[in-house]
Amino acid sequence: MTIVSAFLVPGSPLPYLKPDNPPWRPIADGLKAAGAALQASKPDVILAYSTQWIAVLDELWQTRPHLKGLHVDENWYEFGDLKFDIRTDVKLAEACVAGSKEIGVNAKAVDYDEFPIDTGTIVMSAYLNADGKKPLVIASNNLYHDGATTEKLGAMAAAKAKAQGKRVAIVGIGLLSGSIFRQEIDVAKDRIADPAEDVWNKRMLGLMERGDAAGIRNAAGDYAKQAKVDMGFKHMFWLLGGLGGSFKGAKVHGYGPVYGNGAAVVELRPN
Amino acid sequence: MPKGQIVAGFLAPHPPHLVYGENPPQNEPRSEGGWEQLRWAYERARKSLDELKPDVLLVHSPHWMTQLGHHFLGVKKLSGKSVDPIFPNLFRYTFALDVDVELAEACCEEAKKEGLVSKMMRNPNFRVDYGTITTLHMIRPQWDIPVVGISANNSPYYLNTEEGLGEMDKLGKATRRAIERTGRRAVLLASNTLCHYHFHEEPKVPEDMSREHPENYAGYKWDMRMIDLMRRGKTKEMFAILPQFIAEAFAEVKSGAFTWMFAAMGYPELPGELHGYGTVIGTGNAVVEWNLVKAKLAKAA
Repeated sequence: MTIVSAFLVPGSPLPYLKPDNPPWRPIADGLKAAGAALQASKPDVILAYSTQWIAVLDELWQTRPHLKGLHVDENWYEFGDLKFDIRTDVKLAEACVAGSKEIGVNAKAVDYDEFPIDTGTIVMSAYLNADGKKPLVIASNNLYHDGATTEKLGAMAAAKAKAQGKRVAIVGIGLLSGSIFRQEIDVAKDRIADPAEDVWNKRMLGLMERGDAAGIRNAAGDYAKQAKVDMGFKHMFWLLGGLGGSFKGAKVHGYGPVYGNGAAVVELRPN
Repeated sequence: MPKGQIVAGFLAPHPPHLVYGENPPQNEPRSEGGWEQLRWAYERARKSLDELKPDVLLVHSPHWMTQLGHHFLGVKKLSGKSVDPIFPNLFRYTFALDVDVELAEACCEEAKKEGLVSKMMRNPNFRVDYGTITTLHMIRPQWDIPVVGISANNSPYYLNTEEGLGEMDKLGKATRRAIERTGRRAVLLASNTLCHYHFHEEPKVPEDMSREHPENYAGYKWDMRMIDLMRRGKTKEMFAILPQFIAEAFAEVKSGAFTWMFAAMGYPELPGELHGYGTVIGTGNAVVEWNLVKAKLAKAA
């Protein structure tokens, strides 16, 4: 078995920086539970795709062996700094650069001191890889790629890991519904900004729980438009690609708002 | 204290390629040159800026995009290494800048009076975005004038172009009042590209200018139409068609800097001085100056 676990997680720093805020606690607790599940699956590597790592020319893959430092989110800087200490599976990442080109996607390796690691990857790593021992392969979100291309990239990355005989935890990092509060709120009273988007989010989480990959595919376009989903829900397509297009079902470890956005921590059961 | 004034506004785009082409000591990668026409355009702009003797440079950058309101750098000294997330091969720049916190706070207060959500960024570990740094380096590589850095709220994208630019108009008016009450001689920098259609592959030698040209002919024609209006001082006409330009040329002025700057200057029907135009990975970039001192709309130093 190549894919030993799979997770959909939010990349917002808010539940990480302020985990005791009641509306954000389900997400913070869910991320802790997901971290325990990931560790229990004993992966050799974590394949991560973050909607917040934006690329426009190529598909970028992080190949810096060790990423360590301090990051400040450009929106939520007042809540604190984000420390990170991340190792990269360079061999697999380089295989993914080559593999991208094999499936017709221009790709480049990124190996630069002080390259700005995105908030989503840092938050995910802090919860799901708290001791920093599991190496990551981190893929960017090219703005010009659609869901189908992202799914192909996820499948390719899983195939490359299989070729190297590795056990993989695959993670899609991104939010659900996209309406945010545009005025400052009392964060203790945070909620999903648009009730219709709340309904949409719960419908999609239901499809995940039932392992209905076809239902997710059919609804994804309307969901993305009507609920303003983070980057068109491409993080879900990354997971579908890695999972070979289907999965058995899912456990929702946490669902809730982050400043009006919908966020969920979901563990998908691989076939 | 004498009343402050805006002495000039510049359209001052931020492709990191221009810094890369110049090979300043702060930037790690080395080039063989490239994008000379735009770099020479900035050389002319630098001379003009020098004569204006401003107290402060205010820059509005689309690469500090904020969701909740309009943000202002609020730490007196900021430094670090800025690596462009899109072009890390070209831009790894060590910077140190001084912020005019008093003016930034005044801008923030005035923006609130306009009904805008506005915030001061007080985290000393904050990394300034590469758009701000590129524009500032290109216009004033000495880094000896304090700055006010302003984020681009995502309202033109999250709401729609008209509503979003409506917010930028208010932000510009607030900025003007803040400059006037703090007594500053200020230069405004709109860090925006025009047509933003770009190539999706980089040449092996990025500075190989035989590969550089407009990505999109319709976008190029739009750029020329807008620059023609700028040069003739047809400001009202230019802003009337701005939403169409944005929609059809995928223009980066959508992010608001250009509207912010013109609102602050009072939308003068004043010919802009085109210092130069060129493409960068296919996008259209113009360095244009509206000198309010030469137009006798502001006093000389």
